[in-house]
Amino acid sequence: MSTRRNILKGAAAAGALGTFGAGYAETLKKLAKGKWSGEVPNAALTGNSLTPEYVIDPDTGDLAMNPDIAMSYTMCIGCTTMCGVRVKVDKAQNKVLRVTGNPYSPMSTDPFIPYEASVKDSFLAMAQTGKGDGLTNRSTACGRGNAVLQQVDNPRRVLKPLKRVGPRGSGKWQTISFEQLIEEVVEGGDLFGEGRVAGLREIRDLKTPIKNGAPELGPRANGLVVMNCVDDGRDNLLLRWLKQSYGSTNFTRHGSYCGGAYRSGSGAMFGDFKKMPHAKPDFLEAEFVMFVGTAPGNAGNPFKRVGNLIAKARSDGKLDYVVVDPVLNNAQNGPSGDRSRWVPIKPGTDGALAMAIIGWMFDHDRINHAYLAQPSAAAAEAAGEPSWTNATHLVIVEEGHPRYGRFLRGSDIGLAVEGDAYSDVDPFLIASEAGPVPVGAEAAPLFFDGVVATAKGPVAVKTSLTLLREAAASRTLMEYSEACGIPVETIEGLATELTSHGRKAAVNSHGGMMSGSGFYNAYALMMINTLIGNLNWKGGTMIAGGWFPDNKGPAYDLAKFPGMVTPKGLPIGRNVPYEKTSEFKAKKAAGQAYPADGPWYPNAPGLATEWISSMVNHYPYGAEALIFRNTNPIYGVPGISHVVDRLKDPKVVPLIISVDPFINESSAISDYIVPDSVMYETWGFTKPWGGVATKATTARWPVIEPKMEKNAEGQRVGLETFLIATAKRMDLPGFGDQAIPDADGTLHPLNRAEDWYLRGAANVAMIGKTPVPEATDEDLELSNVARIRADLEAVLKPEEWRRAATIYAKGGRYENIERSYQGDKATYAFGAPMLVWNEGLGSFRRATTGTRMPGSPTWFEAEFADGSKVADHYPAADWPVKVMSFKSPLQNSYSVGAKALLRIIASNPVVLGRALAEAHGIANGDMVRLTTPGGSLESVAVVRDGIAPDTVAIEHGYGHKGFGAQDIMIDDDIWPADPRLATGVLLNDMGMVDPTRANTGVWVDPVSGTAVRQGLPARIERI
Amino acid sequence: MDTNRRGFLGAMGRVSIGAAATVAGAGQSATAATDPDHRTHWGMVVDLRKCIGCQACTVACIMENDVPEDAFRTHVSVYELVKDGQDPAMVMLPRLCNHCDNPPCLPVCPVEATFKAENGEVLVDASKCVGCAYCVQACPYDARFINHETQVADKCTFCFHRTSVGLLPACVETCVGGARNFGDLNDPDSEVSRMLRENEVSVLRPEMHTNPNVYYIGLDEVLDGRVAGEAAYRPPLTGEAQATHGEGL
Repeated sequence: MSTRRNILKGAAAAGALGTFGAGYAETLKKLAKGKWSGEVPNAALTGNSLTPEYVIDPDTGDLAMNPDIAMSYTMCIGCTTMCGVRVKVDKAQNKVLRVTGNPYSPMSTDPFIPYEASVKDSFLAMAQTGKGDGLTNRSTACGRGNAVLQQVDNPRRVLKPLKRVGPRGSGKWQTISFEQLIEEVVEGGDLFGEGRVAGLREIRDLKTPIKNGAPELGPRANGLVVMNCVDDGRDNLLLRWLKQSYGSTNFTRHGSYCGGAYRSGSGAMFGDFKKMPHAKPDFLEAEFVMFVGTAPGNAGNPFKRVGNLIAKARSDGKLDYVVVDPVLNNAQNGPSGDRSRWVPIKPGTDGALAMAIIGWMFDHDRINHAYLAQPSAAAAEAAGEPSWTNATHLVIVEEGHPRYGRFLRGSDIGLAVEGDAYSDVDPFLIASEAGPVPVGAEAAPLFFDGVVATAKGPVAVKTSLTLLREAAASRTLMEYSEACGIPVETIEGLATELTSHGRKAAVNSHGGMMSGSGFYNAYALMMINTLIGNLNWKGGTMIAGGWFPDNKGPAYDLAKFPGMVTPKGLPIGRNVPYEKTSEFKAKKAAGQAYPADGPWYPNAPGLATEWISSMVNHYPYGAEALIFRNTNPIYGVPGISHVVDRLKDPKVVPLIISVDPFINESSAISDYIVPDSVMYETWGFTKPWGGVATKATTARWPVIEPKMEKNAEGQRVGLETFLIATAKRMDLPGFGDQAIPDADGTLHPLNRAEDWYLRGAANVAMIGKTPVPEATDEDLELSNVARIRADLEAVLKPEEWRRAATIYAKGGRYENIERSYQGDKATYAFGAPMLVWNEGLGSFRRATTGTRMPGSPTWFEAEFADGSKVADHYPAADWPVKVMSFKSPLQNSYSVGAKALLRIIASNPVVLGRALAEAHGIANGDMVRLTTPGGSLESVAVVRDGIAPDTVAIEHGYGHKGFGAQDIMIDDDIWPADPRLATGVLLNDMGMVDPTRANTGVWVDPVSGTAVRQGLPARIERI
Repeated sequence: MDTNRRGFLGAMGRVSIGAAATVAGAGQSATAATDPDHRTHWGMVVDLRKCIGCQACTVACIMENDVPEDAFRTHVSVYELVKDGQDPAMVMLPRLCNHCDNPPCLPVCPVEATFKAENGEVLVDASKCVGCAYCVQACPYDARFINHETQVADKCTFCFHRTSVGLLPACVETCVGGARNFGDLNDPDSEVSRMLRENEVSVLRPEMHTNPNVYYIGLDEVLDGRVAGEAAYRPPLTGEAQATHGEGL
């Protein structure tokens, strides 16, 4: 071993000169020329500044393009917001020079320009010729968005397929041809000299159960599992390949270790635990907003839109707001004075604050009676309410009742129901003088607590709102105040503000909810909005306006195809009821159904956090092949370091394939890496997550020629070529010459990326009452869509291609801003009821305890899977500090290679408050050691005033081991480690496993299954 | 408050309330366009209430102007401001060359490489500059540096190459919060003139009497001398990303 290390060292030094020699060459030149004779810049006055993209005649206002430059509207993928941007390309060098916003796009511009404006007019709008001297419709990229174009030219990009040499994670690779890659992953064999590995063809067995005696888990094909990061607009093709063609049900994204706790808590109220709808405040019209665990303008999604709106709202507008957060961040703005205030809170205790406010609202009768009393859509409409709730619906609270925690329904009291009992036609019931009656089109009593007669005898029931009031009243205001560390008078002040602006007050949250109590914290915070009754109101909260979808439209059906299969079986992440399993039935038959061998999460979406535990424990079943697609759970999941070694064992997961442009912490432990396109080289369509009231589809297309090598067919290697080639080799349905039906049912080919995305563009263009106009020749030239004109004409029909071209020329399709409101209400209102009581939540049993959980918001102290309190395992006496992470305004988990960012924030220290620092003798700049039950790290201390007591905070995005932070050896070349890429520390390295789980798993929230990174018990010492 | 601004406003005169703002499609306002002697005088108004500290300007400037690794032409200093009896507060302070009408960097230049351009920009003629760095020392805003690649004085040009062809400076074009606003201070109908009329504004280092053309809305007096780039809340870990005097912003 020592010999090998020495060889590597020597090679590293040589590699440094070879690969990164430019810097040295520059220095040598300067030395040769003498001190004052530097490089002669391009221009005497403006140095090496870029040549302008176009010039505008000062007299006529005419625009003349720089012929060497292309200005194309496409999409940034520098974060999950995926803004519409305008990219400046040096055509001859095939190089992106700079990026700013797309003025048609609400993600980058407010107000955004009308979609009817020509491309030329959009260019003029962003120049001095534009409205308000070009400032009104200015369209922007953020700090990271301006920098991430550097990733395209990152010298550590993977451009050829790689296969590991030596053990997983050893950092040694060999390049192989695309054709060899496809053959090996499809056919399997003794691929690494470690024994036979099953290939994708063999694993695709749609008949044999994946686990003997457990048919509910589905067939062996479910052993192919795909971990994705975020839908960057390419997921539809990947999902088609995995689910409808291959037949596996197992696909997940990154939400469970991102902001999933918030989304789940919001989903509880919006009545959908799988899609997890959420609303955003109407920033420009709201009068008061309380942000908790989200930082508008500091980070988040949609980052720029929210940043722009909050800046306007607090200066030119009418908004006062409070940011409740353990750490003061850029969301607060000193120059705005009292319009923007910061309230510190103990990490992970947001639910105590929310329940205190809810309790105060009940105590002071500041809930919105008129809204909450409407028990149905019809009643709400009659009352002029754009939304309604189940506040008045009766819930069965009789202990031991088989339907405990569920709503009392018409069939329960013997009403004749035309359809199945407990189906949609079985009415919910409300209280009345005459006992329970079906909901009607009139207001209903808010509170009821009593026993009612049913067909099977008397049953205790309460209204949802009664249960919420009881939950809030379970602690005193003083107790809540002590739990969250916010003074009683501050809580009362917040509650007063929230209830003093009619519908124009709101609460908003997001990723800061990722604590052990995150789910209930988020549900409780969102419930304040429902008690205010602000949903769908101008100035209140609004959901996203939706989009013009690409996959199912009037031109082509990309969602279905002849011969498609339906995946079967329970997902590997256990986000389904435990009661559906053979394990449950066997244990029940043996006399003790609970506890299960591991936790199940019926009220959660797919959980990457739990997938890892499933894969390393083979519970409920293992994975035979794992695909990481542009994702990085090994960096992102707190506590995962405790199980990574098992994931590296090929006996645990025999085949790991990454599709990724980079060797990050996760692709580093794979067997193969399929290179992929970056940013401005890729295709896709996305919609805003929230914060945009109008319909918006952002389109992305390769505005430069991708850098990956070509396969034998002359196509650039990447995700699409990988999916298509493997599908065709396995003869899967839905790919090849007869794959995509058009409106007449005629089948069109799917042999390359263009076959898929250009047809998607046709759908985006044609859907709705009026299709988009055809792109003019001028639009095509100015936007450089001329670059893909031949493909557009070849793939699409004559009547389609110019409309699809418009989608690319304008970077998407955007409904005009005037469509945001209908009068004082949102145009795109959320129609389903707000759930004050969620019966799925209130009636399920935790698999690991057999106990129930409350179906309404409640302050819930963090528990491990066995129901024991985390604070009892790790008492404050031993672990007096709480550690948390916060989002960086600049860096995210995959941006470190964009080196301009490290010029601005070079690293991430650990931040602590003055009192805590003094108590431990820590001064600014001291080295400190931070220890949790999950690990320990050492870093530099920064002492601040803007942080809650006994709290230590770490900015996210640093502390990498991948992306070039460590040496990489490919064939005989060394890509030497760059210490700057490794700078700083990562909170997740101190993340915890749940000590009460028999099968190892990281600590997660018991309902949402989401990772815990806020409020880790810890201690700190100076070293 | 800054007396220079008042003098400037007095000289410029006022337009009646309700006068039309600039019209889309025109390079300059009707008022300015009808005056044959009109000469554009560029200026920037930074509304600190709108800065979100995203550093888009900083990065856009690097990309646009090929700013070398060890320097900034513009930058947003981030402060945690703690005043007696008040909660700590975040202040983001965008900084750049102030394109002074009385620029201290100009008279110290031994070769007249630094000069005041027609529309008010302070520029450096690299073909004349000998890299002596006197101007770097003279700038009260720490806005200049010696470019180690070209070995000449370097600084913000207000994106002279862009503004002269009808475009906006890169930092303004990409300002997410709308904090940076740019335009013709000699045009009473311009957005920046309107902002100066309608807001209390101040400048950095008013005691230097430099007559800067960069104005701030919402600048706390505590910070108006804060130009040395010491970001109070991010002390250097490696020294790489932090400025020192003479290295630019």
